[in-house]
Amino acid sequence: MKPLITISRIIDRLNEFIGHSVSWLLLVAVLVSAGNAVSRKLFSLSSNAMLELQWYLYGAVFMLAAAYALLKNEHIRIDILSSSWSKRTRDWIDLVLHIIFLVPFASMMIYLAWPWFWRSFASGEHSTNAGGLILWPAKSFILIGFILLLLQAFSEIIKRAAVLSGHLRENDALYTDAGNAAHMMTEDMPND
Amino acid sequence: MINLIAHNLAPIMFITVMAMLLLGYPVAFTLAAGGLAFFVLGVEFSSISPEITLFWPLLQSHPDRFFGGIMSNETLLAVPFFTFMGIILERSRMAEDLLDTIGQLFGPVRGGVAYAVVLVGALLGATTGVVAASVMAMGLISLPVMLRYNYDRSFATGTIAASGTLAQIVPPSLVLIVMADQLGRSVGDMYVGALYPSLMVIAAYCLYVFIVTMIRPKAAPAMPAAARTLGNGVISLFVMIAVAVALYFLGYHFLFTGLGDAWRLVAAMVFGVVIVYLVAIANDRMKLNLLSRLSQQVIIVLVPPLALIFLVLGTIFLGIATPTEGGAMGATGALVLALAKGRLDLKSLKNALDSTTKLSAFVMMILMGARVFSLTFYGINGNVWIEELLTGLPGGEYGFLIVVTIIVFILGCFLDFFEIAFIMVPLLVAPAQALGIDLIWFGIILGLNLQTSFLTPPFGFSLFYLRSVTPAGEWTDKGTGRIMQGVRTLQIYKGIIPYIVIQFLAILAVIFFPKLVTHYKDEVVTVDPDSVTIEMPSFGGSVDDPFNLDFGGGDGGASDPFAIPDFGSNPDGGSNGDSLNLDAPPSLNFN
Repeated sequence: MKPLITISRIIDRLNEFIGHSVSWLLLVAVLVSAGNAVSRKLFSLSSNAMLELQWYLYGAVFMLAAAYALLKNEHIRIDILSSSWSKRTRDWIDLVLHIIFLVPFASMMIYLAWPWFWRSFASGEHSTNAGGLILWPAKSFILIGFILLLLQAFSEIIKRAAVLSGHLRENDALYTDAGNAAHMMTEDMPND
Repeated sequence: MINLIAHNLAPIMFITVMAMLLLGYPVAFTLAAGGLAFFVLGVEFSSISPEITLFWPLLQSHPDRFFGGIMSNETLLAVPFFTFMGIILERSRMAEDLLDTIGQLFGPVRGGVAYAVVLVGALLGATTGVVAASVMAMGLISLPVMLRYNYDRSFATGTIAASGTLAQIVPPSLVLIVMADQLGRSVGDMYVGALYPSLMVIAAYCLYVFIVTMIRPKAAPAMPAAARTLGNGVISLFVMIAVAVALYFLGYHFLFTGLGDAWRLVAAMVFGVVIVYLVAIANDRMKLNLLSRLSQQVIIVLVPPLALIFLVLGTIFLGIATPTEGGAMGATGALVLALAKGRLDLKSLKNALDSTTKLSAFVMMILMGARVFSLTFYGINGNVWIEELLTGLPGGEYGFLIVVTIIVFILGCFLDFFEIAFIMVPLLVAPAQALGIDLIWFGIILGLNLQTSFLTPPFGFSLFYLRSVTPAGEWTDKGTGRIMQGVRTLQIYKGIIPYIVIQFLAILAVIFFPKLVTHYKDEVVTVDPDSVTIEMPSFGGSVDDPFNLDFGGGDGGASDPFAIPDFGSNPDGGSNGDSLNLDAPPSLNFN
């Protein structure tokens, strides 16, 4: 179990790092988007590359941070029934469904996205808008995003299994119980 | 048996996946897994049932569907922009400042703090747009004040919980943007449509407060004079308002006559407001004593949020920015505001970005899961099943609207808004269109509905948020040192009931007087379409004409999120369906 837990730790750190890093792109996207509107009005300047850049950046954020959100248990759940079940039951559900829901979905997307990305990369595909950006980096976000998600799924499976088999204490599993945006806002509220 | 399953695969799939969601596993992955599992079943059964049109190569469209429909969808960029803006404004403690000052302004009136809560709720709704943040801020700041001056507990808590949900329906709400995207209509129309219904709801809330102060004066007393730390002096406020109006006319008729119509209006308004604001600031800094302290504070506190609302809504309606860019402008404005107030440091900026990133990731993943689900569901003719189910209801249009109201209301009690918007709303589009229902009107009805379900015990989110910041046990009031009784959950429930009644009346009003919403069709012409098209020549059909120039309405199917991919197009090059189509009319936006 020990080497597996080490692997899980490495994956967690990787996705934590990526999640923190890509969040800055969001700030860039905000400024690019506001800048687009202003420059179009004031200087009658508009560039398709800049218009595409804003969703490029956002695409990078949400695709690459999908695994990070899983790590932080931020993917929203319907907990109307499950909130009354025991922690152990919920752990079992997570363990099993990671294996039969998430792993097949992420694997299939990697399988499908690889040739799709490769065709774009090999042909140097550009956006059809005049002056548009090259497309393969944006497409790579989808591929990389699902690879990271699959890795994180393995990490979560290891952690759930380790908790259920008593190899890992819950607190060490980095499992936060903030299930949705609502709870997120609670944490963010100023306390004073 | 196999035959029976094959011919009823759509209902079986729908019920099974809904049941799977109740396991409490992340919604996004549950939807995707359900979609994939039934895809496999569907392909197996396709030889048995002619209704099933699923085959393996169809799966290959997924990367393109994610890329073309979700990633390059400009409208969805509004989700992080507005969320980020809300979080930053929360950090800048705008809600606190507003509540303090407006509470003081209305303090002398009976029920004054309650009016302040309703109005600030609406203002916050128009800026932050986040129910949780509004309700908690008001619960933390206004509720202690209200209880200190012996407001009725039910009345006070009900008013706060209800006013917080105004964020859902007052433009430029994120709810309306996402709803517009899922319904395939323009966001600008959605905003115009939401205007009267949201004003109507705000007015109805105020009216209810007024009635309570008449019937039970003790439930909503005025603030005692000692508590009004900013003092009196409303006269100078009226004077300043008059000055602002005068400056506006001066600007409009004499100073800025060289500008085009819309710009003249903006310049004149900005001119008036900025001067009044500067006077208030100068009064504060230099102790000029031109204004009473109360008026000075009211001006200083009110102008920034009003400016932000203008920055977002104004730029959208003037055709300067798309709704998405309006969100970005608002977020930038919020950053500037927070910096100017000295309430933004690196740590809180990082936190805000982190929260927004996580929210974006889960929202977009749900959308992807919903796409996987819908590819299968449409392939097994599930859309036809839903359409037949809903269009066959007695009462036609009204029967449909009432049944949908009930369904969405029930779902809204335990599903998040995004789940309803991404899973349910697309399924309702086709039946609504088949019945000839205007989709903007429909979207506003759904929005009001969701707002109501936020209020309804025992699962209403707004009630949870309020409960989480309200002490249930005894506590010591900071201002007076008195020991106060805790607020019981039942008291909150009791206080919310009148507001639920108001909401239902509002929904009925919108259903039976569609003109409240559909006036958007008449008014949208006031926007100068030329200024939009001429200045964005290079966009082609690909992006963001901020207004749907297709006034005729059409079926608005351009951004049908569940459209089956076009197999005729080249799968390699056809990544972004819209961008290929440079000759398309601008109404093909937002996808």
